[in-house]
Amino acid sequence: MIRHLSVRLKSLLRRERLEKELDVELQYHLDMLIDQNLKAGMSALEARRAALRVFGPISSIKDDVRDTWLSRFLETAAQDIRYGVRNLRRNPGFALVVMLTMSLGIGANSAIFSVVDGVLLRPLPFRNGDRIVVLRQGQGDTVANNIGFSPKDIVDYRQARSFSDLVEFHNMFFTLLGRAEPERVSTGVVSANFFDALGVSPMYGRGFVDADEAQGAPAVLVLSYKYWQRSFGGDPRIVGQVFRMNDRPHTVIGVLPAVPQYPLDVDVYMPTSACPFRSNPRNIDNRQFRLIQTAFARVKPEVTLGKSQADLDILAARLAKEYPGDYPDKNFHATETPLKEDLTRNFRATLLILLGTAGFVLLIVCASIANLLLARMVRREREFSVRAALGASRKRLLRQLLTESLLLAVAGGVLGLVVAWTTHTLLVTYAERYTSRAIEISLDQNVLLFTLVVSVLTGLVFGSVPAWSTRLDVAPALRDGGRSTHVNRGLRSTLIVGQVAASFMLLIASGLTLRSLMKLQSIDPGFRTENLVTLRADMSFNKFPLSMDRQVRAQRISQYWFEFEARLRAVPGVTEVAGGGTFPLNERGPFSNGLQREAKPLPPGVQPPQVDYRIATPDYFRTLGQPLVSGRAFTTADTLGAPGVVIVNETAARHFWPNEDAIGTRISGGTNAANEPVWLTVVGVVADIRQQLDQSPRDEVYAPLRQFNLFNTTWVVHSTRPIEQIARDVKTMAQAHDPELPVASFRTLAEVRSSSIEKPRVTTSLIAIFAILALIITAAGIAGVIAFSVNQRTQEFGIRMALGAPRVGVLGMVLREGLTLVAIGLVIGMAGALGLTHMLQTLLFEVRPTDSLTFLAVSTVLLMVAVLACLLPAKRAASVDPMVALRAL
Amino acid sequence: MAPKSDLLQGTLDLLILRTLSTGAMHGWGISLRIQQLSRDVLQINQGSLYPALHRLEQQGLIEAEWGNSENNRQAKFYQLTRDGRKQLAEETRNWERLSDAVARVLAG
Repeated sequence: MIRHLSVRLKSLLRRERLEKELDVELQYHLDMLIDQNLKAGMSALEARRAALRVFGPISSIKDDVRDTWLSRFLETAAQDIRYGVRNLRRNPGFALVVMLTMSLGIGANSAIFSVVDGVLLRPLPFRNGDRIVVLRQGQGDTVANNIGFSPKDIVDYRQARSFSDLVEFHNMFFTLLGRAEPERVSTGVVSANFFDALGVSPMYGRGFVDADEAQGAPAVLVLSYKYWQRSFGGDPRIVGQVFRMNDRPHTVIGVLPAVPQYPLDVDVYMPTSACPFRSNPRNIDNRQFRLIQTAFARVKPEVTLGKSQADLDILAARLAKEYPGDYPDKNFHATETPLKEDLTRNFRATLLILLGTAGFVLLIVCASIANLLLARMVRREREFSVRAALGASRKRLLRQLLTESLLLAVAGGVLGLVVAWTTHTLLVTYAERYTSRAIEISLDQNVLLFTLVVSVLTGLVFGSVPAWSTRLDVAPALRDGGRSTHVNRGLRSTLIVGQVAASFMLLIASGLTLRSLMKLQSIDPGFRTENLVTLRADMSFNKFPLSMDRQVRAQRISQYWFEFEARLRAVPGVTEVAGGGTFPLNERGPFSNGLQREAKPLPPGVQPPQVDYRIATPDYFRTLGQPLVSGRAFTTADTLGAPGVVIVNETAARHFWPNEDAIGTRISGGTNAANEPVWLTVVGVVADIRQQLDQSPRDEVYAPLRQFNLFNTTWVVHSTRPIEQIARDVKTMAQAHDPELPVASFRTLAEVRSSSIEKPRVTTSLIAIFAILALIITAAGIAGVIAFSVNQRTQEFGIRMALGAPRVGVLGMVLREGLTLVAIGLVIGMAGALGLTHMLQTLLFEVRPTDSLTFLAVSTVLLMVAVLACLLPAKRAASVDPMVALRAL
Repeated sequence: MAPKSDLLQGTLDLLILRTLSTGAMHGWGISLRIQQLSRDVLQINQGSLYPALHRLEQQGLIEAEWGNSENNRQAKFYQLTRDGRKQLAEETRNWERLSDAVARVLAG
């Protein structure tokens, strides 16, 4: 086989030498002609001319010669393919099994590769995307502790000379009016040159220009591709339409193409001047008003990433020094992360694990098909012997074998593409939960090429095994009457051992992730989810204009939600109502702010530790079933006029009041207009709950909705009525309350809970599918090998039984043979799994990578399946009729 | 490639095989020898000779080896393989049968 390959390879490499030799050969002939002419008395020039005339055009001779080289190769290949197809059609069952197995192995890999390619490999669809970095500032690990930027920060960081563009982004929810229903739109508030910095041009209309960002400029909007498709059916006439937002007309000036949006998918974009908060002069001057979540910058072409980071370090240090009260005192950093890396930060590890597991499946598939081909070789030995006897060279036969394998592999690859195609939508939906690059996943030429290369490689691998291990001689097969034993049994056993080992590792991966998922699913988050419906209600920011008296405005907002709550409670079938800024398991997180105790003043310049602030109505805890540990819940008496109160969770109580009672003490989370701390009295302690299933409780402070001005609210109502009816009635109620108030996102809390673990669920399912596939293929492989060996030994068993061996003994013998292989594979697999499972860490939840229960369970399952796989052929061996077996000798 | 009739191509192959049956020879030698033996009736065009040689080589009927020519230059020498000898015998028989038949027809 190696020799055969090397011959083929040589002939490819030899091409150059062949050409040179042809030159020499023809030149010799020409020279001899000239020589002849000289001898005949011609002058040198005449001799040469005459010779060339006789010789004819050299290039056309060369072409003709080259044709003979090529046509010979093609002829043989065509012959091999014809013969191969005929052969496979004679064994449709075999061909079908191989192609289906292949299609699953290749399909799994192509499907996962399409995601890897779309998300990790290809360059960002932005101009020079590798020069774009994401900026964050905060303490320590700034990805987790990003505190955001104030408008002043952005101005300061723009001084960094390493960057050619530095743009900002923050996400707001505004109410868009002018369509059939008021609509809550997720809005990206960005710098005017935001799209220029990314290098994205609108598909329709125009992007923002500097004039759009000037204070007081007419408000304009750019729509995202998804929102435009979803809400306007992709109608290009949208450009120029005017909607009302925040009490101002907003004109649509452009539509973005389908590019991944960063940092998150939003519906519309507006320049910073159009955001009522960002453009508020009081906020613009406040360094602690860090509304801006992310900044992007384009690193100048001549600057290295290390240099630009050094620039940031200098600027951050200067800011912290110049404005000590406004920045964290310790460990304050500004960092840059390449955008490409940042976009897939949460997905990369998972994706590579999936690619690895798919690769294992393919290896198992290869081994299994090689084994099938080996078994088939025995049956075809006669055919090959006859062909060898009729003069086919060994090389020719090897080539024939390989052609057949490649035919099968390519057919399997085509079917594999079908598999990848059918799973495409599912995978894109899955990837969307991780990264906005999911939009780039497609089954394009890269995936086609990958599939082709993988198919051909697999074909070569599983095709070369039988070709290599078989002698392809004339004599033995013909002599032995077609019953041959010289197909390498050791090789077949090795393949089985390898399959078992690889399957074991996949099953372990599947077992560990499955156990993690089960733990996630069965975890008690500390609140109830039955019969609860969640929804959100977003008041327009200009419902009560900023021009109003502050006190009056705050009072009106407080009253607005108080009335909304009352109306909600009056909706038929609603028994409990909880309101707040967010609810457990919601994607939207709480506010973060400092916590300062009145009794323990901080030294000057030291920043208070950050905790989560959550807003709640009086019935919030009762509705969610979050127990009150001590003190009281909020009451309707906790109004704006009453003293400010808060409730802390157990973790915060432990943390900030280690050996004392929190109740009755006062804390502050912020300052008033006069820059004095606003003191709030702790009135209760509530039990810890898991706000996200996979996160342990954090420090939490709850404040009453009536004492807190909130525009974006979420509500949880308890009712046994179907969600559709609740949604309809709540919408009708909301219309009555305020025709410009959009209420949306009706979901049961149970559904929210379920969808919050959708990512691990899909990942686990994918790995489980791979593992089950591997197990089935391996079981079939074991059964096949044992059946084959039983077949070969029928006479032996007959003799044994004729000599008095009990049937059970024969059964045991066969079982022992099979289970020995399985046991070896299991041990190797276990060693491999112990070495590899730590790579699964990111997917595991409260399960150790070496979880003994999983290892035990997987070993048991694998052994049981192996026993079953051996039992079928073993029973046949035991049922051999000694007389029949002996007569066949 | 200009189309050539099977007869002509087959005949050329036969002539080459026959010429080589006396020993290894290079392309120039083969064309000279055929010319000599046919008393200048058959002049082999190199445009046909070399493709034919390479085709026969690919078919395994002849094999080539580099060696020194009579004037001490590197030249490619062709010689018959076992398959080539068999093929020559068969083709010769076919040719004799054919020419015999044609002769008989012409003799009326």
